Amino acid sequence: MYLAIAPFFVLFGVFVLIPVCFSVWLSFQKYSVLGGIGASEFVGLRQFEFLVQDATFRRALFNTLVIWVLGTFPMLAMALVLAALINNVTRLKAFYRLAFFLPNVTSIVAVTLFFGALFSEQFGLVNQLLEAVGLTGVPWLSDPWAMKVVVAVLITWQWCGYNAILYLAGMQAIPGDVYEAAQLDGAGPVRAFFSITVPLLRPVILFTTVISTITTLQTFTEPQVLFGSNTAVNPNSGGPGQGALTMVLYFYQQAFNNNDYGYGAAIALGVFAVVLVFVVINFRLARAGEDS
Amino acid sequence: MNVSRRSFLLTSGLLGLAGTGALSACGSGGSGGSGDGKELAFWIWAGAISEKVVDDVAASVASSVKITKSIIGGDFKQRLTTTLSSGQSVPDITGIKGEDMPSFLTQAGAFLDLNELGAKDIASSFAAAKYAAATTADGKQIGLPIDLGPTATYYREDAWAKAGLPTDPTAAGQLVATWDGWFQAAKTVKAATGATSVRNTTDVFAAALAQQPETFVTKAGAWAGDGTAVKKAWDLAVQSHTDGVSAGIYDSTGYNQALAASSIVGHVGPAWFGLDIASGAPDTSGKWRVTGTPGGPANIGGSFLALTTACRNPQAAFDYIKTLLTPENAAKSFTDASVFPATTAAYALPALTAGQDFYGGQATIEVFGPAAQALPTVYDDPNNAAIAAPYYTELSNVEGGKDPAAAWTDAVAAAKQVADRAGVK
Repeated sequence: MYLAIAPFFVLFGVFVLIPVCFSVWLSFQKYSVLGGIGASEFVGLRQFEFLVQDATFRRALFNTLVIWVLGTFPMLAMALVLAALINNVTRLKAFYRLAFFLPNVTSIVAVTLFFGALFSEQFGLVNQLLEAVGLTGVPWLSDPWAMKVVVAVLITWQWCGYNAILYLAGMQAIPGDVYEAAQLDGAGPVRAFFSITVPLLRPVILFTTVISTITTLQTFTEPQVLFGSNTAVNPNSGGPGQGALTMVLYFYQQAFNNNDYGYGAAIALGVFAVVLVFVVINFRLARAGEDS
Repeated sequence: MNVSRRSFLLTSGLLGLAGTGALSACGSGGSGGSGDGKELAFWIWAGAISEKVVDDVAASVASSVKITKSIIGGDFKQRLTTTLSSGQSVPDITGIKGEDMPSFLTQAGAFLDLNELGAKDIASSFAAAKYAAATTADGKQIGLPIDLGPTATYYREDAWAKAGLPTDPTAAGQLVATWDGWFQAAKTVKAATGATSVRNTTDVFAAALAQQPETFVTKAGAWAGDGTAVKKAWDLAVQSHTDGVSAGIYDSTGYNQALAASSIVGHVGPAWFGLDIASGAPDTSGKWRVTGTPGGPANIGGSFLALTTACRNPQAAFDYIKTLLTPENAAKSFTDASVFPATTAAYALPALTAGQDFYGGQATIEVFGPAAQALPTVYDDPNNAAIAAPYYTELSNVEGGKDPAAAWTDAVAAAKQVADRAGVK
């Protein structure tokens, strides 16, 4: 019997439990890259002291939170509306489902490169459209705020359809007679959406909010591709002014570009703590609504 | 319901941490330092050196030793470090990127001292400053230089003509012999054509920094991030912004588009940067010229070949890398892969002395050759890369409108913190 469940626990141990324990150990060390474990020096809580004082980490935390707000809530709201629309179409339902889910399985690196060209400052399509309607172009890839918007747009593009499919599944589980009763009582589609669909979808909304929060707080690929470092000429990461330096990108830079694994591990634990705090807040907020 | 949510949160939290998790490594050293093994594994990344030269030379020694080349993709330093620290499947011969050399010099124990294999005798055949960049403080030679990146001034001949500036590389070179002269020329071009001559301030910072013998950390290991060398490079970088000759472009797509649209008509950077221009804006071929660097040549980039302590046949391996870097083979690498040789005798060979179409037939070796031989010997501390990061951040902030003086203060403060963390006093 234990043999049957062993594969999961062996894989979990090798790829999750041991690395997690190792990174906790690492965060108390000044790790010697080639000397290995034996040559590492125990430094106590010094890495965490640095982490608390590190202005760059605070900037990364701020960036990540801004990207989280910009990339999660509008995205979930859009997904909810999209799901309601798809739920109400009668023809080509499967096509819409497929079309909206497709971004989620597209290579994110390729998509990011494509978005990089779209948002390119002088000659990108977005700025050309803005200028065509008489607005001024936005320095999408060098203004600290615009950079975050670009990353958030990418996240929205990738995850909106995925969440819409989850909402759609939830909506299809809502019995039709509830809507019929509402219709008889004189509720229009908007009223039905807010008074029936949204409350009955609460568990699904909670789930998507938590998952989206976890994913967005660990945003890495988008800023890495758009604003990653080229160590030969510029040891920086996160683009101009480090405006798109997310926590995980900072962790990656410290651990794998600078080979400062001890500090990298401390950042990773910092990321873990931040994610935990926000997930708990999300969860409490959603629960509070449920009880009332 | 409660319990399952909690455990779900816990599990996803753990998974999240694992996703950002650590590199597990076990520290056993490489085995053996001598021997006459018949097989040698050779790690290199794409484009480091002509693959044809690598294969041809391997074929010529095939009777005595079999060389297996592996093209390693991704982050080369990361792969090499991981392999060295695990002690498993360590390559016998490996490439080392120039920017990674300072940190590998601190791990010299993982590599063979090439002086013991005969590097001393051929030292003079390489550009001195680049060769010295692979020498440890106690005189061990870790690598032989493949290539280097002597800096130069790139400029568009047509834009300079329009601005009434001399377009001949020699005359242009006299004009931009100093940074002041270069700023003047760039401003004249801007006034006449509206085009800028710099991608962004950090390019000027990097080039000016490369001219300094010591930068953020002195050879003695002391903090100098607020010193005159760094401040000088910083001021020049800021000037490119205040003088309006920097385009302030940070993304490669935008840069290529600006090059193609002739809204950027200049650059101060290493020899290999010409390739970036040529691939980014192929239509501008024939209009570019190169001349000397303002304030004198410097080196940016360039790689090395090294032997690890796990090498199964050091003498054969050394003879192999030595042959890869003969003037003839270095010239072939230049032709095949545009690798600018560190072997100075190659500069006299036809492959390098020929005129280049992208530069309107100019023989660019007349600029890069003397520059390569006049490079200043610099001290590049292993912590420099990490310490430099805040300066680059703040320079881009200056281009976003931040006050330069405030940016400098912030950069120094942030860099000092990184230095403290690294143990620099």
